[in-house]
Amino acid sequence: MEICDLTALEISRRLRSREISALEVLESCLARVRQVDGQPGSLDSGAGDNEDARKVHAFITLMEDAACSQALALDKELATGGDPGPLAGIPITVKDIFCVRDTPSTAASRILSSFHAPYSATPVERMLKAGAVLLGKVNLDEFTYGSSSESSAFQPSPRNPWDPSRVPGGSSGGSAASVAAGEAYLSLGTDTAGSIRQPAAFCGVVGMKPTYGRVSRYGLIAFGSSLDCPGPLARSAADAALMMNAIAGVDARDATSANVPVPDYLAALQGRIEGMRIGLSPDYFQITFPDAESGAYNQQALPAEMEAAVLRAAEIYRGMGAQIIPDVPLPNTRYGIPAYFVISRVEAASNLHRYDGVKYGYRTPQPVSELKELYRRSRAEGFGLQPKLRILMGMYVSAAQYSEQYYHRALRVRTLIRGDFEEAFDPHGKYRLDALLTPTTPSTAFPMGDVYGDSVLMQYADQLTVPANHAGIPGISFPGGIAADGLPLGIQLLGPDFSEDILLRLAHAYEQASADADWRAVRPKVLKEA
Amino acid sequence: MGNYEAVIGLETHIQLNTLTKIFCACRADSWEDAPNSNICPVCSGLPGVLPVLNQSVVEKAVLLAQAVRAEIHAISFFDRKNYFYPDLPKGYQISQFDKPLATGGYIELPIPRTADPAGKGYARHVRIHKLHIEEDAGKTRRQGERRLVDFNRCGVPLVEMVTEPDLRSAEEAAQYVIRLRQLLRWLGISEADMEKGNLRCDANVSIRPADSLVLNEKTEIKNVNSIDSLREAVRKEIDRQTRQVEAGKVIQAWTLEWDEDAGVLRKMRSKESEADYRYFREPDLLSLEISPQWKERILKGFPELPLDRRQRLMAQYRLPEYDADILTLERGLADYFEATAAAYGGDPKKVSNWLMNDVARLLSELDLQPAELRLTPVFLAQLLKLVDSGTINITTGKALLQTVHDSGKAPQVLVQEGGLAQVKDDAAIREVCLRVIAQHPDEVDAYRGGKHTLIGWFVGQVMRETGGKADAKQAGTVLSELLQ
Amino acid sequence: MPNHEEQITPQVFEHLVDLAALDLDEEEAEYLRRELNNQLSAIRELETIQLPDDLTSAAHGVPYPSERRQALRPDRHEPFGGSAEILALAPQLDEGCVIVPEIPHTTLE
Repeated sequence: MEICDLTALEISRRLRSREISALEVLESCLARVRQVDGQPGSLDSGAGDNEDARKVHAFITLMEDAACSQALALDKELATGGDPGPLAGIPITVKDIFCVRDTPSTAASRILSSFHAPYSATPVERMLKAGAVLLGKVNLDEFTYGSSSESSAFQPSPRNPWDPSRVPGGSSGGSAASVAAGEAYLSLGTDTAGSIRQPAAFCGVVGMKPTYGRVSRYGLIAFGSSLDCPGPLARSAADAALMMNAIAGVDARDATSANVPVPDYLAALQGRIEGMRIGLSPDYFQITFPDAESGAYNQQALPAEMEAAVLRAAEIYRGMGAQIIPDVPLPNTRYGIPAYFVISRVEAASNLHRYDGVKYGYRTPQPVSELKELYRRSRAEGFGLQPKLRILMGMYVSAAQYSEQYYHRALRVRTLIRGDFEEAFDPHGKYRLDALLTPTTPSTAFPMGDVYGDSVLMQYADQLTVPANHAGIPGISFPGGIAADGLPLGIQLLGPDFSEDILLRLAHAYEQASADADWRAVRPKVLKEA
Repeated sequence: MGNYEAVIGLETHIQLNTLTKIFCACRADSWEDAPNSNICPVCSGLPGVLPVLNQSVVEKAVLLAQAVRAEIHAISFFDRKNYFYPDLPKGYQISQFDKPLATGGYIELPIPRTADPAGKGYARHVRIHKLHIEEDAGKTRRQGERRLVDFNRCGVPLVEMVTEPDLRSAEEAAQYVIRLRQLLRWLGISEADMEKGNLRCDANVSIRPADSLVLNEKTEIKNVNSIDSLREAVRKEIDRQTRQVEAGKVIQAWTLEWDEDAGVLRKMRSKESEADYRYFREPDLLSLEISPQWKERILKGFPELPLDRRQRLMAQYRLPEYDADILTLERGLADYFEATAAAYGGDPKKVSNWLMNDVARLLSELDLQPAELRLTPVFLAQLLKLVDSGTINITTGKALLQTVHDSGKAPQVLVQEGGLAQVKDDAAIREVCLRVIAQHPDEVDAYRGGKHTLIGWFVGQVMRETGGKADAKQAGTVLSELLQ
Repeated sequence: MPNHEEQITPQVFEHLVDLAALDLDEEEAEYLRRELNNQLSAIRELETIQLPDDLTSAAHGVPYPSERRQALRPDRHEPFGGSAEILALAPQLDEGCVIVPEIPHTTLE
């Protein structure tokens, strides 16, 4: 196994025992990047060649020189017996939706393509302070709008390392792909409707959406302010726990960050599973989506192998002494997408107001005769279709005459969705669950171009993940097998507020129990074609 | 004005005098600063930033709400008001829309005789509709075909206070702003200087038949930068609407801008006309919760309000309205007055006279607040008693005011050191009078010839001779006797 | 069943585009308008949900009881120190100010 394919914890151990140097670790990752990534996404990439279709293209900005300097400095400190922090020497990638000083922070959009932030996001600062080595900024759907990363203005967009003809998922596609392909050990992504968990599932890695307010949003270029959660993507639950230790915690610069103590997530991995109550819900084993023609709703069961993977996990937990509680109703799950359409668009439209060509970012080079024209041209030229779509929908459902019908209604539906979880997790209620076990996605990774363009169907891919965003509760997706089509499938655990330690523990236990499973030996396609 | 009455509501924006801005830790005051030198990622609306509420903003707003007897809501919310304008970097203003900090309340507005067409003076009960907190926008300046944008003022904390349409004349509108300004300075929450923009006022004006209760279409007047401009602009608008209605035309809901230089109102297509602000709850901030304990802490030491104090000064010290008005212009002066009156123990009117005239002049010349005077209330009281007892005369007393401040010494000490005691010795005065009479035979003749007004001149000469220390009254008596 | 497809008519769409300060070409406009209407069909499901009258709206999913909230910010000056850096991001600068074209102000009367 290559150095770059090990876990962050293992690397950390080897670094501290001086078995390897930070520079060696970095070089292993860089070699992998050179081997599999191909050209980074850019605004004017021209026609791609055949090579493109076989590469991962996780990056927008690879920061080789800066990373080398960091690694050298860390090696020096380690050599003199210093302790640069729990993430010392570990190469990480950061979704390019986070502002990082002295790097372009683009949001994968033309409108910010040359924007250099004069400050860094809190979770990034914390990881760097813990000694992590920033390898680069990775690609995503433009402004995180999407579930496939295809909408990026920086093409080529990321591909799934398991099959580069397929999407890595989105919007944290570059994050998931870079971790899955062995380019970096950890990645900082964001989850607004499932955009960490879904790509994690598609790319066969671990992805966690923390509780809303667990990780500071300061420096995260906003999409859905009441939904966005920064979180880790990693190759194991333990690695995710390592990263959570660094990034979680209250931040005075974010008024919505919660004043809740941060447990030691690594230590918590070893806790007891016996006696835990883990629920299964029929509402998570089917997908409810509107028929394009009639508008009527169809219900469809998930593919059998998805369900089977979840039930297998349930058995594993039962074997550890957990109680499996079936038939837990979460009847408002089906309203997650419609409510999401409304709430996220209202917030997104407002959050995108500031991109007006006036004080930073893209301003139209066309001559304009008055201010309004400046706004219109700059925004029309700077934004891709997906942001435009969200802005327009946001305008519509929050317009004075419609807001009661749409926006305020959606906020109340959110209370209903939250209510489902409160009932399921109520320690004095009927179910008293510690966690809910569900599939992460209704399908494995779909082919590039298949769904893009149909915004409704694209959005429905998030049906199993978005309720957690409405409710604010934490969720984790971890690999649960390989499907018949050779692609990874993910299993999801959802828990009560601030139960990340429990979720990580359960994911870790599953990993341990299934460590020898055949499917774990299968490798992503890009790595096989070395 | 015929059979119409004016119906006026005022919307004021008050810049609070906190140290820092409402949502970031930049300084709130940047009046003197170079453009764009007092900014940070938060107030300049960079991608990824978040607002963090300043505690002091809430506390000052609560003080104002209490002062106008509004209901302070235990829970209120922030909302986004979305629109495009270059001085609004985020493209939305964080404000409070449907659940503001406080609602209701009133100001009992005294309209003085001079402002009353009937010449009697009366009180106008002005109800407050609501009070909320929000952030200020930056500034833009026109320069030919382009506009220059300065973000320094972005994020300065504002309280917006809106009245019900209870005002009935331009003069009342002016009085409201005068009293509001006094109140804000009294509470110590704003400098309230209209010329500096810390107090901004928009007026909503309509008219209706005198006995009607209907509310007609109103126009909005913006950009008045002084109380006089407000008075004039509102008066002009009332006249215009009256003319329109009398000519059978309909009033439209225009937004009008006051042109200070030309002294006229212009219809403007404001940045906000026909805008749909699409208000929604600000997701980056939590609800604003004011616990009973916090409210109690804020209101501890809540001062007696200026109009109440004014009443009390008239009642308790039997001062005329004129005096009470002047003494309660500023809280510091009222405090000074009461402290002096207490130390003095005599007729408070005397204290008031000295304060309104000579002490006021001194304060103005030195550009000081009453509390900064080394002529303390105790010293002033002592000085008054020295004059009362005849130890010094009034002229000396007035001159001593500055000296006490400059030296910081008690008046008594200065009198002794300077030998300033009044000359009251009959023999001494008589001697000087005789000398003066001897030196001015022409005037003596004139006086004896019937020009008795010259007595004042003679007294003046005696005062000169004695370096101002003679008891003037006594000198006058002696002179009258000698000149017969 | 009423024809929902045209809920966002070209006129309504124009108004939204204006509110959003965008400039769209015909092809984009048609695509976007179509997608918006499709999404509305999905959103329409919201209207069918029975909402109890006393159901409050949730601006955030997680509640914020007082112990979970941070204290409000103390009124203490902490200069950012990088005003020049922020200003340097502007596409057009002069006299220390950000420059934009003028806004038409139709003053009548």
